[in-house]
Amino acid sequence: MNVILLAPEILLTLLGLLVVLLGLVSKNKNFIGYISAAGLFAALILLLGIKGQGTFFYEALSVDPLSQIFKIIFVVVSLLAVIASISYFKDNRNQDEYHSLILFATVGMMVAASANDLVALFVGFELASMATYVLAGFEKKNPASLEAALKYFLIGSVSSALMLFGMSLVYGLAGSTNIPVIIEVFQANPLMATSSLGVVAMVFLIAGFGFKMALVPFHMWAPDTYEGAPSVVSAMLAAGSKKMGFVAAFKVLVLALVALRMDMQVTFAVLAVITMTYGNIVAISQTSIKRMLAYSSIAQAGYIALAFVVTTQLSIAGGILLALGHALMKGGAFIAVALVGHMVLLDNKNAKNIDHIENFAGLGKRAPITAFSILVFFLALAGIPPSAGFIGKFVLFYSITIEAVSQASGWLLLVVIIAILNSALSIYYYARVIRYMYVLPANGVKIHEPAPYVLALVLAVIGTILIGVYPEPFIRMALDAASVLGVR
Amino acid sequence: MSLYMYLLVAAIIFTIGAYGVMTQRNGIKILMCIELLLNASNLNLVAFSSFSGNATGQVFTLFSIAIAAAEAGIGFAILVALFRVRDTINLDNINILRW
Repeated sequence: MNVILLAPEILLTLLGLLVVLLGLVSKNKNFIGYISAAGLFAALILLLGIKGQGTFFYEALSVDPLSQIFKIIFVVVSLLAVIASISYFKDNRNQDEYHSLILFATVGMMVAASANDLVALFVGFELASMATYVLAGFEKKNPASLEAALKYFLIGSVSSALMLFGMSLVYGLAGSTNIPVIIEVFQANPLMATSSLGVVAMVFLIAGFGFKMALVPFHMWAPDTYEGAPSVVSAMLAAGSKKMGFVAAFKVLVLALVALRMDMQVTFAVLAVITMTYGNIVAISQTSIKRMLAYSSIAQAGYIALAFVVTTQLSIAGGILLALGHALMKGGAFIAVALVGHMVLLDNKNAKNIDHIENFAGLGKRAPITAFSILVFFLALAGIPPSAGFIGKFVLFYSITIEAVSQASGWLLLVVIIAILNSALSIYYYARVIRYMYVLPANGVKIHEPAPYVLALVLAVIGTILIGVYPEPFIRMALDAASVLGVR
Repeated sequence: MSLYMYLLVAAIIFTIGAYGVMTQRNGIKILMCIELLLNASNLNLVAFSSFSGNATGQVFTLFSIAIAAAEAGIGFAILVALFRVRDTINLDNINILRW
């Protein structure tokens, strides 16, 4: 057991405790943001630097390429959110708790990514969920924020109860909570997994993970929560905690599907197509940018869910790449919205609906860096090359096309065509915001964009474009990660 | 008693909880129903564990009880904060966010 492999988690846990202690003893808490940003940066360096694989704590946690790439996503998202929060929560007297919750949420997501045992998966999931319930309601004088937290909490805890019920049935069938052991038992007794109890367990697990991934019909909480929560927290939720659902689904569902050769293609194809179409169509009519981003994030979850349809190595790699790209694009977009909110509050302290699309009019003149980053993120989200969004979608759609051709299946091809049409549809609502920013006249003066926001935006823009122009190392990482699942 | 009786009781509790979550409009009652959902799973785990003579399920239950307690704590905290701002925890009145 080589504990160095778990150094990032250990570092972030200790830092989370340290941050609360520092908050107790210090009067001015603005420095705490810098400490947690530095800690997250150190954790990122550790994640990139540490090579090796292993299992820990009686095989409850496993460190492998799949867990590492998702941990990199989580740490990058938290780093962006924390950097932006230095400005967003400046002079807030509860900053210490805020930063420690972000760190604990990150640790929870990392544990879920590493989980090799249903107990560890559940505990990691709950640690991240509980920290984010509180974060969503962090503006405790703001009714919208509290309402977002309440809806997120109620639906989140129902979904974890569903997941736990599914896990209890799986444990009853297999007699173990260790995921590889469960797969072995199921492989030895194929009848077990297709028995009615096995199917019920599978449905409960899909529902539990589906809530976190915000797949239609489990998406109701996402728009409300992303709209009401503080923008930097929405960035964390949309870009980070959603990916936790995906990593859990990759670990449990894909392993189960591949090992059992269960025929769930149609189920996931229908879920994915409904999710992306619903997300894109509803996003068109939104006037609140945060709500629009929430629906676009539902649509993106639909694209990523296509990876479950064919479960080849390439499609899983495509899903992981799109998840990585989406983390940067969506996280960056929500941070940019936070900056616009800051600008609107500078104009008028009592402004309502600060993320209304009208407030984006003339942003190209008022806040050039923000407007340019929103332009990059939105074009990337629409899948325009060279960007992370394009690479992810390309690999994913390509993998399904190959599979459709090799299986000579017309409906798989149809799924790809619907997905591509959906991407085209999404350009409409992204372009509308771009028109507001660059074509319509400004109704205010140029503002000074605070340095932390600008740093977070610039990092996200660099990441988005870097994956787009130099994708080989990222594709290789994603393929390595997908090979852990033992797929074709 | 056979394993099926325990599973049946757990399934009934789970159904009551699920029904309550869908029909109740009071925040506290919904929290109680969520507890029912979680405890139905715990009952399942313990029943499976004791009938198969394998302790993992009981350990899992201890974890999930601790987590359920923490979750209830957070839920009540959110409800209290909401009550201070809005003077209600009836979900029908909590509707600022909608499209």
